[in-house]
Amino acid sequence: MEADSRTEDTEGRDTAAEAAVAADEGTVVEFDAVTKAFGADAPALDEVSLTARAGEVVVLLGLSGSGKSTLLRHVDGLQAPTSGRVRVLGTDVGAASSRELRRLRRRVGFVFQQFHLVGPLTVLENVCHGALGGLRAPRLGLPLYPRTVRRAALEQLGRVGLADRAFQRADTLSGGQQQRVAVARALLQRPEILLADEPVASLDPESAHQVMELIRAVAAEERLTVLCSLHQVDLALSWGDRVVGLRSGRVVMDAPTAGLGRDEAMAVYSRVGAPAPAPVA
Amino acid sequence: MTTAPAPPSPNAPLGAPAAGPGPRTLPRPRPASAAAALTGAALLAAAVWSLIDLRINPATLADSAGNAADFLSRMLPLDFPPLAELAPPLLETLAIVTAATVLSVVLSTPLAVWAAGNTAPGRPARAAARAAIVVARAVPDVVLAVLFFRILGFGALTGVLAMGLHSVGMVGKLYADAVEQIDEGPRAALRAAGASRLQELVGGVLPQVLPSFIATALHRFDVNLRISVILGFVGVAGIGQEISHALGRLDYQRGMALAVVVLALCVAVELVSVAARRALLPGTEQRAGGLVRLAARLAPALGARRAGARDAAGAPVGTAAGGADPRAASAAAPASGRLTPRWTAGRVRRAAAVAAAGAAVLASVAAVATEAQAAGSRAPLEALALFWPPETGGIGDRLLEGLLLTVQIAFAATLLGALLALPVGVLAARNVAPNSGVAQTCRMFIVVVRGVPELILAIVFVVMIGLGPVAGTLALAIGAVGLLGKLAADSVEEVDPGPERALRAVGASGPQVFLSATLPQALPAFVGHLLYQLDVNIRSATVLGIVGAGGIGYELLNAARVQEFGTVTLITLMVFAVVMAVEALAVRLRRVAA
Repeated sequence: MEADSRTEDTEGRDTAAEAAVAADEGTVVEFDAVTKAFGADAPALDEVSLTARAGEVVVLLGLSGSGKSTLLRHVDGLQAPTSGRVRVLGTDVGAASSRELRRLRRRVGFVFQQFHLVGPLTVLENVCHGALGGLRAPRLGLPLYPRTVRRAALEQLGRVGLADRAFQRADTLSGGQQQRVAVARALLQRPEILLADEPVASLDPESAHQVMELIRAVAAEERLTVLCSLHQVDLALSWGDRVVGLRSGRVVMDAPTAGLGRDEAMAVYSRVGAPAPAPVA
Repeated sequence: MTTAPAPPSPNAPLGAPAAGPGPRTLPRPRPASAAAALTGAALLAAAVWSLIDLRINPATLADSAGNAADFLSRMLPLDFPPLAELAPPLLETLAIVTAATVLSVVLSTPLAVWAAGNTAPGRPARAAARAAIVVARAVPDVVLAVLFFRILGFGALTGVLAMGLHSVGMVGKLYADAVEQIDEGPRAALRAAGASRLQELVGGVLPQVLPSFIATALHRFDVNLRISVILGFVGVAGIGQEISHALGRLDYQRGMALAVVVLALCVAVELVSVAARRALLPGTEQRAGGLVRLAARLAPALGARRAGARDAAGAPVGTAAGGADPRAASAAAPASGRLTPRWTAGRVRRAAAVAAAGAAVLASVAAVATEAQAAGSRAPLEALALFWPPETGGIGDRLLEGLLLTVQIAFAATLLGALLALPVGVLAARNVAPNSGVAQTCRMFIVVVRGVPELILAIVFVVMIGLGPVAGTLALAIGAVGLLGKLAADSVEEVDPGPERALRAVGASGPQVFLSATLPQALPAFVGHLLYQLDVNIRSATVLGIVGAGGIGYELLNAARVQEFGTVTLITLMVFAVVMAVEALAVRLRRVAA
């Protein structure tokens, strides 16, 4: 965590968690033999082990239902593992109290496939929601957010190019615009890790391109650690530092993109025969 | 697509005070939302004024506590009639209610197809169907009963027609709504396959609406059971009439005992109804799209039979029946050559439930049809003519006063009810309650309150507090917990869970998630439910007036007694006008809120 210079200029970080830093310097996400089972069905995650270092961009590839979303949700404790251990930014997600989880989630931004904006509220209030983790009371209505939060939200909205839409209802925006608002909401958290669950899968190619460029730009600028699930193999290879392939909840590939061929990456999607897992990075 | 993302700018630290006035961080006030807020405030003020004017306050309630002891001494011990004496009116009530509900379903189904925007054969037909539904809702069953007494005389058929026709107002409306909410895809697929209009309706629409049709019918059965008690007060045979007679001779021990019987009957019906829903509609107890998922499950089941039949006829099994076929074909044609689904336990249960329901309906219709009906005194048109023109009967002032009182009761009861119901309802929602124990306890509480007929509450309060509006208000307020609490809980559970998840991912606390993500999504529904409750309360306040709970219902009963039918019509129209005004207001408010 000490290696993570970005945390130093932001106030209010959890020092207790930092004391319990994982042995491996610079590792911010660590899955250790994580299994997640829902009822009697085949487990959504099956003995998943994986790490992400600070500033790394990890792209998850795999068919729908292969466990990508479940994996991402474990990172900020929206789901708890059935067995195994998840450590994120020094917090043991499975064992954390709800208070600790909330503190962790403030440091982790999440962009969903379906945007998940509150439709009837204004765009700006939706961005302000990104600050809720750091605010005490529940609130409904823009005036109830501190002016500083509103300013910061407006600024993030400008950053995604939608400042002129601030007071429009969120559900009046197009899909691409809604996703950019969702990115602004995540950025307002000033996250250290950005999770993105197929962030452009619901968008038309043009909007998808815009949103993806936006995410790439802010991730690079803020030097975020990124875990992003995608279906575009070419994008995965050009953007990611590492590609992790999932099939039926198992990690079937974990390789640096440098020197990785398109066909090798595509093998994750093949229905028959599992290729031998590439050596762990 | 609009503007491309601006080039990323250096990120100012969060919370740094910006110099100067800076850009607006709050929207300019909009006239539309200001008007809505004003309307809301006016409605709230009206409700508060009603509460004050009716003198509903802790002191009044404390006064009536003394009466409660008195009341208990008069009604205890309860005097239950022997079973042989109790069974006939009970069975008669059940037969009347069943037949009336069946009548309303039979009438409502074609009306709904005509009234729904997506299936109406044309604009005039749609307007006519809508008008028929509105009129059915506007004329209270009590007034219909008074009318049918003139034509048919006293008997079961009178009750069946009065309740059955009035029920069309609700059943037809809900059926039309259900038809309008279907997924058009399967229908289009059927049309593409060359289906006729009727085939399209039966194969593409009916499977999707069947669950909600059945649920609505069961719900209406429940409502009609309560109403049948009130109709007993105006002369329809059954258990309600027995209560009316007992209270009329001040025999509270017998009257309250019968009320307890009705209560037990309501609970029993509720249990049977839940069981029936489960047997007929597996999965409807699940929330959030349960109906949709169920329809998806029913569609292939129905498709299987068709596909199987076609298969047997040698025609290709394929794309014709829309998305249902791939699964249906494999289900219908296993190696054994079976062409119908296997008799699994679930299928046996469903078939048994259908058979039992069918038998109950047949028995009820037979019972009502064979019931000796005292000859009516008038031909239908002659009887109708008695009700026209509307007349004040020389008591115009009293009617207006009564109407105002009824509206006051409705407003006060809605406010009191909302204060009680909304917290309970919200906590009963699984996605908001701190744990499932709280949710279940609140749900249970709502179900129990729903089980108590308002009429019984009104009678209890009338006897305790005395005749007058306070009794009516309290009865309606408590009744509101059952309806409003359930509606609130359902609409909170039906919000899109996505934003809730997003805010949890941000690190928001439970109350924060509720206020910022759940409530804004449920708010339009809340406003709608409150206005709906107000609407229901105005109608109920009218009816409860009949048992002495104050307001215009009392005048209605008197006018019917002294055969001033023109006045009955006038009162009906007055109440209708008020209800329409509330509905117009509701439509406008919902448009702003949604």
